[in-house]
Amino acid sequence: MRRRQITDSRRRTVLKAGTAAVGAMAFPALLRANEKPKELIVRAWGGAWGEALKAGVADPFTAATGIEVRLDFTEDNEIKPKIWAAVDQGRVPPIHVNWDTSTNATISALRGVTVDLSDLSNLEGLLPLSQPVGLEGYPLVNTYAYVYVCAYRPEAFPDGPPESWKVMIDPKYKGRIALYDDGIGFNPIAVIAGGGTFEDIPDNMEPGYEFYRQLKANEPLLGEDADFTTWFQNGEIDVACTISVNARAAQQNGIDVRWTVPEEGCKVDTDGLWIPQGLPANEEYWAKEFINFALSREAQEKWCSMLGLPPVYPGIAPPEDLVGDPSYPTEPADFARLVSVPSPVLVENQPIWFAKFSEIFQG
Amino acid sequence: MDRLRLKWLLLDKLEALADRLWPDRWRGATGWLFIAPALLLVGLLLIGLGYMLEYSLHELDLSTYRLRDEYSLGNYAFLIEKPVYLRILLRTLLAAVLVTAITLVLAFPYAYVMVRTPSSVLRKFLLVALFLPFFIGQVVRAYGWLIILGKQGLINGVLVKLGFPTMDLIYNYGAVVFGLVQYMLPFAVLLIVPAITAIGEDIELAAESLGADWLKAFRYVVLPMARPGLVGAGIVVFTLTLTDFAMPEILGGGTTDFIASAIYDSFFQLSNAGLGAALSIVLVTIGSVLVALVFRVTGAGTLSIRDERS
Repeated sequence: MRRRQITDSRRRTVLKAGTAAVGAMAFPALLRANEKPKELIVRAWGGAWGEALKAGVADPFTAATGIEVRLDFTEDNEIKPKIWAAVDQGRVPPIHVNWDTSTNATISALRGVTVDLSDLSNLEGLLPLSQPVGLEGYPLVNTYAYVYVCAYRPEAFPDGPPESWKVMIDPKYKGRIALYDDGIGFNPIAVIAGGGTFEDIPDNMEPGYEFYRQLKANEPLLGEDADFTTWFQNGEIDVACTISVNARAAQQNGIDVRWTVPEEGCKVDTDGLWIPQGLPANEEYWAKEFINFALSREAQEKWCSMLGLPPVYPGIAPPEDLVGDPSYPTEPADFARLVSVPSPVLVENQPIWFAKFSEIFQG
Repeated sequence: MDRLRLKWLLLDKLEALADRLWPDRWRGATGWLFIAPALLLVGLLLIGLGYMLEYSLHELDLSTYRLRDEYSLGNYAFLIEKPVYLRILLRTLLAAVLVTAITLVLAFPYAYVMVRTPSSVLRKFLLVALFLPFFIGQVVRAYGWLIILGKQGLINGVLVKLGFPTMDLIYNYGAVVFGLVQYMLPFAVLLIVPAITAIGEDIELAAESLGADWLKAFRYVVLPMARPGLVGAGIVVFTLTLTDFAMPEILGGGTTDFIASAIYDSFFQLSNAGLGAALSIVLVTIGSVLVALVFRVTGAGTLSIRDERS
């Protein structure tokens, strides 16, 4: 018995010593895993978007950690295949964090190139909006919601803001209307404006296509975020479907633009952050820390206030100029006025809708 | 005498070195050595095209956003089924023809005056005006046109001041063709200039001394002799226009896409590399067939390259 006790004791001692030795040996590796990289590269959108990320997240993160954050303004659709190719070929991806639309991020998650973010401590307590839809865990995390509003030039609407999206097919505004060049933000709205219902999406998009055909006759301009600001600034357009951030940024730059949510509603969507696979362990660690920081109250408050968008951190008051604005949904009643299509539905149908959109507008 | 000896010595050494690097027994392969860079270039291009062709034979799986393993002609069938692609292709081809024709018409007199003018000041001015656009990229030039031709641009500003209504000068097909002509003009002039330089001025004088007026000399002497330059410039302008992306994107307003825009959309907007590759293969095939046809009709000799007929 005694002998056995001695044996047990010795075994425990050996195990302790072994664990300590392994721990000591692993210590440098653990240290290396948290070793700070010189910089983190975060893909971002430019203009007001990039400025908000820099001031709200990147700069405070650098102040807290000493790690420089470089914003890479490569177009979101262009960085996607670069990351995919890097991951497939076992190369280090070109960026650490991708600030992306939730739809695009979901596509990358489906492709299996994203790092799981379930272990981020700041996920706890966030609004359900932060959770990706139709995916296991957190291959991405949504950071705020945004609305594709009806932006207009008040001078062209002396009787008040447009009440319906049908203004887009009013011959009075022929050649002076604009949409995104892939129909993003407008596809479900076109269905409702064309006489369909939300329930028609995605199985019966024909009312939307018919609305597009009428809209095509009204000679719209098709472009990207930056184009809308330029077009409003140069007096090229009177009305556009664009993200409220662009309209607000134009307004803050002295361009006479206002926005509204017409009776058919506006499409609400989310953006998110994700990390590509294949980064060195320490860089992945700090990329996660960056996202974790972006989800903190401090970062969410400043970042989203600058963007003028409702954050996923609960209880943050809207900026003064957006209190009561329908493009800044906070209550369930606000969301009820908006049209939200789940990411999996968008991912599955976007190529079909885009093909039809091109067919109509390039015809 | 010493210098001559030194020269011979140097030449002997160089010859010995050349013999060591490329022995006499390899002389038969010397021709291949000269075309090795071209073979390397074409080889790499063919490898790339091979990959494109391979990608084009796989359809996208929307559940994983990866190309399926199975081979299929689905992407090509999709292109045929969707009339929009044919429309975009025809729009691109029409623009390529229009831009080539307009550019050659404008470039020829420019090149002719530049070569024939007795005024060195005018020649220098034309040369500077020719090379200046090369320092400004295509995108910057396109944005320049937006500023000049926009609703609040220079032209419309003048129109308004004169009491006329503003005109839609951008975001349409005409604006794209106009921007492309302006972009292609220097390329065409540069390719036509050597052809005109090669026509001795005395040949034109001889024609005129034999009774031909300037127009006849131009029609029956200058133009046929400048054909190599015109064909070369035409091919370059046509193929560059056929594959252009920036001008239609910037000046087209989103509704006058060219085939390059459709390829971009397939690769980047739709993440469908298979469809993008299929469109690329179609574009390369059409471009190559048309250029081959031009050579077939005009003969390689038209580019001052000796062939059996010459």
